[in-house]
Amino acid sequence: MFGYVRPLAPELKVKEFERFRACYCGLCHELGREYGLAGRSILNYDFVFLSMLLWGGRGDCGYSFRRCLPGLFRKKCVCAHTGALSTAAGQSVILAYWKAADDREDNRGLKRAAAGAVRLFLTRAAGKAAASHPDFDRSVRECLTALRGLERDGCESLDRPADRFAALLASVSSEAEESSRRPLGQLLYHVGRVVYIADAYADLREDLKAERWNPVAARFGLTVPDVPEDVKEAVRQTLFSSVDLMCAAFELLPENYWTPVTRNIVFLGIPDMIENVLAGTYTPALKRRPKSPAIGQNGE
Amino acid sequence: MQDPYKVLGISSTASDEEVKKAYRELAKKYHPDNYVDNPLADLAQEKMKEINEAYDTITRARKNGAGGAGGYSDGGGYSGGYSGGYSGGSAYQSANANYAAVRSAINAGNLQYAEQLLDAAPTRDAEWNFLMGSLYYRKGWLDDARSFFQRAVSMDPSNGEYRQALNMMNGASSPYRQTGYGPPAQQGGCDMCDMCTAMMCMNMMCGGCR
Repeated sequence: MFGYVRPLAPELKVKEFERFRACYCGLCHELGREYGLAGRSILNYDFVFLSMLLWGGRGDCGYSFRRCLPGLFRKKCVCAHTGALSTAAGQSVILAYWKAADDREDNRGLKRAAAGAVRLFLTRAAGKAAASHPDFDRSVRECLTALRGLERDGCESLDRPADRFAALLASVSSEAEESSRRPLGQLLYHVGRVVYIADAYADLREDLKAERWNPVAARFGLTVPDVPEDVKEAVRQTLFSSVDLMCAAFELLPENYWTPVTRNIVFLGIPDMIENVLAGTYTPALKRRPKSPAIGQNGE
Repeated sequence: MQDPYKVLGISSTASDEEVKKAYRELAKKYHPDNYVDNPLADLAQEKMKEINEAYDTITRARKNGAGGAGGYSDGGGYSGGYSGGYSGGSAYQSANANYAAVRSAINAGNLQYAEQLLDAAPTRDAEWNFLMGSLYYRKGWLDDARSFFQRAVSMDPSNGEYRQALNMMNGASSPYRQTGYGPPAQQGGCDMCDMCTAMMCMNMMCGGCR
């Protein structure tokens, strides 16, 4: 479920890309400081996006050069600590913990053991994060319980399960400033919806093989992983309708320091991700510091 | 009142042409067409009002010679042009009193009440399906909304309102879909991208003639 919300790097200016990278490193350092190694291990792009959205004020952020394990020999540019980073760090730990707990229930054998190990590894960090974000912790638990219920009943609506996950992301907007709360809630709702459905689509083959419930398969009555064109088109339409609403909501947000990057993510990065997921060419990148865009990438 | 130049995102030394350009860009962004049935329509309307006021203030001040780089003004032919677009909600009316109540509940954002009314409705006709679609659209349940709109259109193919709603779900009038990179292997022929490009070009031409 992670790693779907990224900018379309070739379309960023170099300075914007460097900033994005500094924010990524900033979140990593924040996770390390607050939650130790366990925290750092769950760093992902989606929460970098979240910290950029929650960023208060319009001003520049401070930068410093710091060492870390991958950057042992050459210091890396890291953006300064702020409340937005700390919120995003806490929430990503909570989500990763419950996701691991959920995976453990879902799987058998080796995968179950692996998810169990991740959960155990994150227990302490998650306890600390839950103490500072109790509402978010509760929303995540409720959301996953509701999803489990829908899964048990073999729910045939695509929107019903997607709504649970989307509402969970939308609840993050309660941490934002009053003036941007409504558009941010709407934006995040549809980001959550798109991520949930795209993730389900990407997992189609694996889920069908393991005979697990998959919302896309259940909605369109798929039994084989080869998706007919009309179903693909229906999924594309519904995802791009969400993108339209996302863009409309984004336009109503006050500008901040990160607007060029977040605009790229909403208007270009997410549509690009959708097209690639539908074409089966998407690889969610998780644990890699963003690399400079290679020329000719993405079919240009 | 806010600084009108700040609202348009330009400096007070901007030329008349620049003022007009900034205004047009913002007006396009917050145009009511982009927020049809959108739960945030009221916020967009507020923005639109702010922009209109700012533009009016600037053009009026420049006309009176109270500043500005150009010293002349071509009279703000654009001002207030969009302001009417948001008011009044839907132009369509329901003959059925129950459905009229559902429409006003959806317009007011009272989705729970609208859902109750629809659940209690005795018949499941085309308009019922259309209203269910509208309700789900407002909730953000777009896949279910599309199914309901499709059913409404197939039950009453002659109704323009239902067809318009379905077309919206199919992205026919989306201002945001741009020609991105797409997946690496592009097929030939007339695909969605081509259509979008054609739409965008047409849109641009319309903008130029205005």
